[in-house]
Amino acid sequence: MVAFVAFSLRRAWQGFRANALMSAAATATMVLMLVLLSGLIIVLTGFDATLKYVEQEVQVVAYLKDSAAAADVTSLETALGGMQQVTEVRYVDKDQALADFLARHPDEADVVRSLPTNPLPASLQINLRDPADYLDVANYLRGQPGVDRVLNIQQTVDQLATVIGVLRTGGAVILLVVGLIVLFIVVNTIRLAVVSRADEIEIMRLVGASDAFIRWPFIFEGAFMGLLGAFVTIVLLWIGQGPITAFMSDYFKVLPVEASATVGRDVALIVLGTGFGIGVLGSWLSVRSYLIR
Amino acid sequence: MVSPAPPDSKPSQSRASQAAVTPTDPAPPRTILALEGVTKSYPSGTAALRDVDLAIPEGDFVFLVGPSGAGKSTLIKLLIRDEVATKGAVLLDGRDLARLRRREVPGIRRKIGIVFQDFKLLPHKSVRENVAFALEVTGRPRRDIGPAVDRVLRVVGLAAQADQLPAQLSGGEQQRTAIARALVHDPRLFIADEPTGNLDPLISWEIIQLLLRINEMGVTVLMATHNAEVVTALRKRVVALEDGRVVRDQTAGAYHRED
Repeated sequence: MVAFVAFSLRRAWQGFRANALMSAAATATMVLMLVLLSGLIIVLTGFDATLKYVEQEVQVVAYLKDSAAAADVTSLETALGGMQQVTEVRYVDKDQALADFLARHPDEADVVRSLPTNPLPASLQINLRDPADYLDVANYLRGQPGVDRVLNIQQTVDQLATVIGVLRTGGAVILLVVGLIVLFIVVNTIRLAVVSRADEIEIMRLVGASDAFIRWPFIFEGAFMGLLGAFVTIVLLWIGQGPITAFMSDYFKVLPVEASATVGRDVALIVLGTGFGIGVLGSWLSVRSYLIR
Repeated sequence: MVSPAPPDSKPSQSRASQAAVTPTDPAPPRTILALEGVTKSYPSGTAALRDVDLAIPEGDFVFLVGPSGAGKSTLIKLLIRDEVATKGAVLLDGRDLARLRRREVPGIRRKIGIVFQDFKLLPHKSVRENVAFALEVTGRPRRDIGPAVDRVLRVVGLAAQADQLPAQLSGGEQQRTAIARALVHDPRLFIADEPTGNLDPLISWEIIQLLLRINEMGVTVLMATHNAEVVTALRKRVVALEDGRVVRDQTAGAYHRED
């Protein structure tokens, strides 16, 4: 057994080197695919986290008319506070709204200062016990005096979910296509290795080598290609970790910090598994169709 | 042990078994190789072998002769189970090769040593590595390989050339390397397919001497050849094929029919 594994590994390495150019090409395509895969996983993770956050933090925001009477607003506040679905009601006046806006967009201070009046409306921000009650509360607010419009967060949530769905489907299709191409290249690379060793294989058969001894070196060679591709990908991702993390936390502001650590680990594992799997599958297919004649 | 004969094959004994078993022999050696009504035809319709009966007792030395295309190569392919008989049975040491499971084939092939006209050595491996390769690929532990290789290299007289590459060797030495590789599994049957086809007469005789020595060690030898001089001089058993049939099976025969 030890002799078998040692023999297979040695031959796999010899084969990889003897066929260096094709092996490198196969590995490079593998890297391309794995980078695509990791990119998709990272982006999808970001969107998923955003969706979850948005769903969790569903807040009904009702913008008030500038002309709304103070009494109307107060009675609205009281009515909302008495509703079972509502946990908290907060009144944000026009000045506070402007301050909040400036805090979020400090670059826009000049623009804001040049405006003659404060364009931002006052609003009521209502926190819900359960996001599912959103429509009840929103519909109630829509008819009330002094309410200009109710921000439709549900729509945003739905849009985000649609984007994620499209990304997931599109990504899966692209990955499948690229994966098939990579598989095809691995199959051909190993086929080439098999053909270049036709003499050895003939002798192995004549002297009574079992199929395992003929087949496994090539499968190890494929696995080696896959793992090498995975390692290169992981190294690339590791090098790009800084920019990627910056992008992630920039783009998906709500992503919890600890998520990026697990994402990194998950991506590394998925990349390793996929590279290994495609390498083994490709060489297995290749050797199988060659040996069984 | 004997598989049922195909319906259209001849019953009764073949010439081969008559020739092999002499009536005075009290305990005839066991038959290492038997062909019973073997026909091999290819999908194209050509029959390479027709109804061949042949029995070779253990320890025999047999020349297989006949013009090119007579079926010698096909016969050898059947013996190493590179091909399977269309009809009839090929029995090696009592096992019907057509009924072997796929994973049993390698074990059977280790009982057979085979050399060819073109040696089939691996050019980037030394003599020692070429011989060791046969053991490596069959899973022999490394510590056993060295001594086994040294032993067969001494048998074929190549101990001094062990570290040379095939290209540095003469044709005779290359064939001896191939013979060493074929011997390293201690085969019961040694098949030589035109082993002297690429060698000059003097070297050919050296190879023949080596095969005779291997035969003296108890290994059954089957040698396909066109070398009339050798066959006639040695007066061993001669099986002649022509057009896929055994046309002559003679103990102490010559290359050509002697009337």
